[in-house]
Amino acid sequence: MKLYDSLSISGGNLTRLKLRTSLTIAGVVIAIATFVAMLSFGAGNEEYIEEQFEKLGLFYTVQVYPIAPDPEKDTIPPRLLDKAVLEELSKLPGVRLAYPYESFTATATFGDSIFESRAQALSQQALRTKMFSEIRAGRLLSSDSCHEAIVSSRFLTTVGMLEPDSVLNDTLILKVRISSVDSGLARILPPDREYVRKRLREIAFDSLLHRPYTERLLRSELNNAMSQFLKGYMQAPDIVLETLMVVGVLNSSGPQERNIASVIVSDAVGRRLSAGVFSGDPTEMMAALASGQMFLSSDQGDARTFGHVTLDIDPKVLITPIMDSVKAKGFRPFSFAEQFEEMKKFFLYFDLALAVVGIIALVTASLGIINTMVMSVLERRREIGVLKSLGADERDIKFLFLTESAVIGLAGSILGILVGWIITRVASEVAQMFMAKEGIHGFDPFALPIWLIVAALALGLSVSLIAGHYPASRAARVDPVEALRNE
Amino acid sequence: MDNVSIDVYPNEFLALVGSSGSGKSTLLNLVAGLDSPTSGRIEFEGVNLDAYSRRELAVYRAHKVGMVFQSFNLVHHRTALENVELAMYFNGVPRNERKDRAAAMLETLGLKERMSHRPSDLSGGEQQRVAIARALVKRPVVLFADEPTGNLDQDNSRQIVALLRQLSLEGLTVVVVTHDVELAKQHAGRIIKMHYGKIVDADSIAGVQ
Repeated sequence: MKLYDSLSISGGNLTRLKLRTSLTIAGVVIAIATFVAMLSFGAGNEEYIEEQFEKLGLFYTVQVYPIAPDPEKDTIPPRLLDKAVLEELSKLPGVRLAYPYESFTATATFGDSIFESRAQALSQQALRTKMFSEIRAGRLLSSDSCHEAIVSSRFLTTVGMLEPDSVLNDTLILKVRISSVDSGLARILPPDREYVRKRLREIAFDSLLHRPYTERLLRSELNNAMSQFLKGYMQAPDIVLETLMVVGVLNSSGPQERNIASVIVSDAVGRRLSAGVFSGDPTEMMAALASGQMFLSSDQGDARTFGHVTLDIDPKVLITPIMDSVKAKGFRPFSFAEQFEEMKKFFLYFDLALAVVGIIALVTASLGIINTMVMSVLERRREIGVLKSLGADERDIKFLFLTESAVIGLAGSILGILVGWIITRVASEVAQMFMAKEGIHGFDPFALPIWLIVAALALGLSVSLIAGHYPASRAARVDPVEALRNE
Repeated sequence: MDNVSIDVYPNEFLALVGSSGSGKSTLLNLVAGLDSPTSGRIEFEGVNLDAYSRRELAVYRAHKVGMVFQSFNLVHHRTALENVELAMYFNGVPRNERKDRAAAMLETLGLKERMSHRPSDLSGGEQQRVAIARALVKRPVVLFADEPTGNLDQDNSRQIVALLRQLSLEGLTVVVVTHDVELAKQHAGRIIKMHYGKIVDADSIAGVQ
């Protein structure tokens, strides 16, 4: 029996029992729609992230970090990322640009808002990389020494402005306190000799040989000195101000988030604001102390170290050898491409978890198919007998009922994909409405890739064929003599 | 069936008569390839049906055999034309020829105006003629009719038997199972009488030849 003939007979039977067929198909529609909507969410997120990675050139970006020191194992301290290393890294084959992440905390004044903000200095070359290509409004900085600033979406949220255009050409004042080591040391090394005499008078020299007393005395003196140092450091009155014009707004939400500070300034402005200056933030202060950076004088700018360095790689070059070279130099490389591979694994598990819901619904729908088909076999025993008397064999009958089952599955799958798509569109509109309020734009959390359509069709068809197998086999086994016996 | 042995010759009109339970329908199902004997052999054109696989037996039914039943066995949700067309799904008649051949057959049997009607809209006689059209449209070698007049009134019965006789005269081998001995005597060329699975009277010549 040819497929067309089988379809012709099946179609007639299915259209004859409209209500029953519609209800059975509805079960498949719900299941496939659930499957499609669920996986569409996974696919949408994956597609968006891949798109972002591609757009920001993250597949061709490697970040280099210094290795954290391990005092128990290291015999020599690990290398720090300084200007010399930056030079070395920029000369690696395939590296188009190596630029540091130099950030500092400044007090920002924008309109009536005054707040602590993270700022970073970037060269023109670095700004032209894909990482900073997502300009939401305005433009990039005009030169490496301009008094301009680019702010990020995070900055907009802080100042409570939703429209990126609304901040353009406004004035932004960045203020930093000069907290130098000198001002801290001045507190513990006063020029006044009387202070030293006073302290000496306070010490009971007779007890110095008594060890616990000496230890306590030293500890107390050390604590006192440290407290004096920090007081001097924190209360340094010198302030540096930079008045800048906001010329652009950069999107900072996404995988590039940790590479984009709230405010981006030119190289020259950044140097003025950050040279020899340390934040009052205790964590940063401790980091500066630990790295030894705190005790470098401001004219030793070249000796400064960076938190991390970003390498912009030529897309034609393989990343692995570059990663190996970075490791060989004693640093820890981080590749976004590798991170994306990890994320893909996560998405695979995520998709599987989502698919399970759809598959459970489909299993339920398959029971509906089995029920419909078994009913059909019982009702059409005589017809099966007639077809056998006309020359149909068991294979023909089985094929006929499997075709009916497949038509239900296919129709349900096609409609289910359509319904699933409509659900995702509605959900996407609602989600985007909420995300716009959070300043997130252009993110569609749902996608309907070709593979999902094919998978939904294949799944719907397979499940319906499996469900139809038992009724079809039962139909094929119908004894024509019994079926045609006169009632 | 017990020790039943009969020969059916080409172009003859053979009637199997006997009361209910005599085994005549069973015999018909066996020779039509719908059932298989537990012992013994059935030969068609010199070939033992036992040697056929299920598929070959289906091919035999599709090409060589036409069947007509007492209760017509038309597919009730299909029109007369579609019922006749159904017979050609399994014997390789090209799709584009089926409708024309079915329509021509129904027209031959005087059902031109009733083609688009469903069985429920047709009279018993008309339904049986549709069933005969369905059996004949395959151009079988032999037509097996199991009580073809069992559900018909006298007039329609006479018309159907006359039609079968006409087909026989035109060269078709016709085997009819009936309990109506008088009707068989009037139209059949040969009558075999069965009783409780045995042939009790073979080769009796009917009145009309």
